[in-house]
Amino acid sequence: MPDRVHLSDGQREILEGARGPYLATCMRWLVEWGEVMGARRLIPVDNTHALFPVPNLMARGASAATLEQYANTLREACSHRTDPRCYCTVHTLFVTMDDLDVPENAPDQVQAQKEITDLAVRSGFIPTFTCAPYLVGNVPLKGEICAWTESSAVVYANSILGARTTRHGTESAIAASLLGVVPEFGVLLDANRRGTLRVEVAANLACPADWGALGYFTGKLAGLGVPVFNGVRRPSQDEAKQLCAALATSGGVSLCHIAGVTPEAPTLEAAFHGAVPEEFVAFTGDTLRETYASLRNHTGDEVDSVILGCPHASIREIAEIAGLLEGKRVAEGVRLWVDTARGTKGNADAMGYTRTIEEAGGRILCDTCPTNLRMAAKRIVTHGFKQAHYARGMLGAEVIVARTEACIRAALAGRWLGDE
Amino acid sequence: MSEALEIKARGVVKGCATGEALVADATLSFWGEVDPVTGKVIAVGHPLEGQSLSGRVLVIRSTKGSSATPMVLSLAKLEGQAPVAFVNVEVDSLAALGCIVNGIPMVTDLEQNPFECIRTGDLVTVDAEHGVVRVRRAG
Repeated sequence: MPDRVHLSDGQREILEGARGPYLATCMRWLVEWGEVMGARRLIPVDNTHALFPVPNLMARGASAATLEQYANTLREACSHRTDPRCYCTVHTLFVTMDDLDVPENAPDQVQAQKEITDLAVRSGFIPTFTCAPYLVGNVPLKGEICAWTESSAVVYANSILGARTTRHGTESAIAASLLGVVPEFGVLLDANRRGTLRVEVAANLACPADWGALGYFTGKLAGLGVPVFNGVRRPSQDEAKQLCAALATSGGVSLCHIAGVTPEAPTLEAAFHGAVPEEFVAFTGDTLRETYASLRNHTGDEVDSVILGCPHASIREIAEIAGLLEGKRVAEGVRLWVDTARGTKGNADAMGYTRTIEEAGGRILCDTCPTNLRMAAKRIVTHGFKQAHYARGMLGAEVIVARTEACIRAALAGRWLGDE
Repeated sequence: MSEALEIKARGVVKGCATGEALVADATLSFWGEVDPVTGKVIAVGHPLEGQSLSGRVLVIRSTKGSSATPMVLSLAKLEGQAPVAFVNVEVDSLAALGCIVNGIPMVTDLEQNPFECIRTGDLVTVDAEHGVVRVRRAG
């Protein structure tokens, strides 16, 4: 079996049960995970993003005993306080806690989620319920050690912010939150942050969805590696969000660099720790068009769902959507949803964007997203490559991925009218 | 049943389990490609589409890392539909975590190509403690 992780006396005492059986189990998870992944020690963690979801339709048909036992594991976790040094936020749920008149938002599951959520808040977790914690106040600094769930947010934290987090699962993020440590492996170490794939960007990237295409194309090639983008301007926050989400969708990427832009890549040389590879992959205008086309599988133009906000929309995206909908009306039979964090919706309410979107026949959905809800849909138009990818597989829907303006045009017409 | 083939491997997550092999030279995501309640692969077009993971030794290239992997494995385990062991070519950190949390053994680095010497339906024992995989041919 793998090498041992060195533990301090205090850590060993917790492992042996000094703080009770649950925290001993948490410590065992982190230690054994560290052993598997080649960690030599546990290091302090400053910031976590954890999962506390009631499974809802993800476990459609599960026995009452399974659901109760699973809820009990979450209740147990929430009966302990988060580590005082740690800033802890919470990932998206599989239900929304707002009123939503669709059968997928099962009332008994919503009630169960509210109970768990109250416990998590008392434990010290901040109820952000978002896949994009960096849009609602959880913005780690360069070098900050984090334990984040949500692969798209992991890429954003590592790449755009220069923070350091491996991809976490439910149990490891909870354990890190309660114990204040993580096993040191992967991109927490300098040597694993060196670029492995050089991508020369020749295409003109005009909007966030174009950056999503760049990420979706590159993720497939990069696998678990570290892609480095060269020859490209500084993205906006929304563009960076799409890039990171798409990289984590088509590949297992945890970190990328943008030469001349991101914190650890002041130059192309720096991104590769000095050894820039000769060979590279080119992302051209043709590649951009082919990448959009590769994900579109629609067999007709009728549209029943337009889903925006994957990852969760920023206030600027919501402003843009509201602007495009002002004084207009979404076509009959089309569901236009903008998914976002509760905190962002508060600002959208104050700015009047929520009202504009609702008056046009759309709605803002908090806490979750249609994929997590397992929302039934036949044909979806979205600006998120991640949404499109998972909606195809998980909802069995036909998808069209396109820039925001084209998505809104489809929502107003009730049919796909093309990109321009 | 013919005689057993014994293959050296590296233990990743401790434990020992026996089950019928389910083999594909492919990756698999527990988020979105596996239903934890039926235990079946639901990804359209996947080489294992429609196959049940329940009680099987899952022999695949690797799982695709998703934060939800351990959660889906936990739910499948509670429903009695989880695989009993993993034989992977590459170790995905989130599958490893899911195996640790749920007590499912995992091995990697087999001395022979697992896709050549293990077939779906073979009876396979994964002994991660001793770093060995034993294969009994079906039929």
